[in-house]
Amino acid sequence: MTGSPAAQHQLDLVPDALLAGRAADGDTAAFEALARRHGPLMRATARRLTGSLADADDVVQETLVQAWKQLDNLRDPAAVKGWLLRIVGSRSIDYLRKRRNHADLDDAENLVDHHARPRPEDPENNALSSSRVEALKAALAGLPEEQRRCWVLKEFNDQSYEEIALTLNISADSVRGRLARARVTLARRMEEWR
Amino acid sequence: MNTPRDTLDCGHSLAELSAYLDTGQIADPAHMDSCPECQAGLASLRNLSALGKDLLRSDVTDAGSGNDDWMQSILDNLQLELRPGRSIPLQSDHPDDTLWETEGSISALIRSVVDALPGTAAGKCRLHGDVTTPGAGITVEVEIAVVYGHSMEERAGQLRQELAQTLATHTELAIEAINITVTDVLEAPATPTTPSTMEEQP
Repeated sequence: MTGSPAAQHQLDLVPDALLAGRAADGDTAAFEALARRHGPLMRATARRLTGSLADADDVVQETLVQAWKQLDNLRDPAAVKGWLLRIVGSRSIDYLRKRRNHADLDDAENLVDHHARPRPEDPENNALSSSRVEALKAALAGLPEEQRRCWVLKEFNDQSYEEIALTLNISADSVRGRLARARVTLARRMEEWR
Repeated sequence: MNTPRDTLDCGHSLAELSAYLDTGQIADPAHMDSCPECQAGLASLRNLSALGKDLLRSDVTDAGSGNDDWMQSILDNLQLELRPGRSIPLQSDHPDDTLWETEGSISALIRSVVDALPGTAAGKCRLHGDVTTPGAGITVEVEIAVVYGHSMEERAGQLRQELAQTLATHTELAIEAINITVTDVLEAPATPTTPSTMEEQP
């Protein structure tokens, strides 16, 4: 296997499609390069969906295991990023379902987000935009769970209504409705805040 | 389904505008274009969507780099199963011995030859033909990416030669043809700080 530092550096420069093709051929170094490249995005979306960093890492790991097994089924290797994010989405939702069976629904992460207060008095533009992001985090944490999932799967994982419907096991119409309600609530909160 | 708050005074719902944002489709586009309420609603949804992208960027930054320890520990846990592919029989000195190599080891060999050539990286690689029958004619298909500035024909010709040599030395396959397809032309790294096989000194 190509494991030398030079080869690894080289793999960091080549496009997704090429890495996905190699990985499907069994090249673990290419697969790891893909994992490193899209890992932060996978971790970020899993964290928003599950609400915890520890769960997010478990989700990323499960996603990579599944991806390695199913790479042969990936029809368009150039679309590997979206494909990975779809797996992250469904693994995250599975994770939440499993966790629900363990009774404790409140997660520390969301509580922290609730306490993130918007700071409208920030004078600097930079700080202003970052405090708007904090305000959005807080507003997001206040959404009903089902709406929040729809919103994250749409805006973070970039999934279509049909894909979200499949992931959440609801109809595409319900996705459309929940997403709209999530957006309306969030937009209102953000305008009030402004 | 809609609460009164979700319906604008013009009669259209924010749900319609939300769907329009994703699909570009709405029942009454002429109205929407001229209705100040719809336009205000759309603007507010677009602001939210832009802010959502800011949040995603901020979350991705918070997630750290793919070269950090958290990813390394995930990768260490993976224990990926190998994909051996087909078994390729090898001749042995004793008739009682059965020797073979795997298709996976041949494609790894091909990739290593391609990767070793400066400014070139291997992609997909296929062995066409019945590799399980000794002496059967085999065609090799390799996809490669080449850094911009290299002559592709020269590159492909050189690779074909090196691959033929390596495969003749390390395998017993009866190679009939080696087809090389350049699938990507890569930008040369702008300011390489680490030594890399992708750069080639003239």
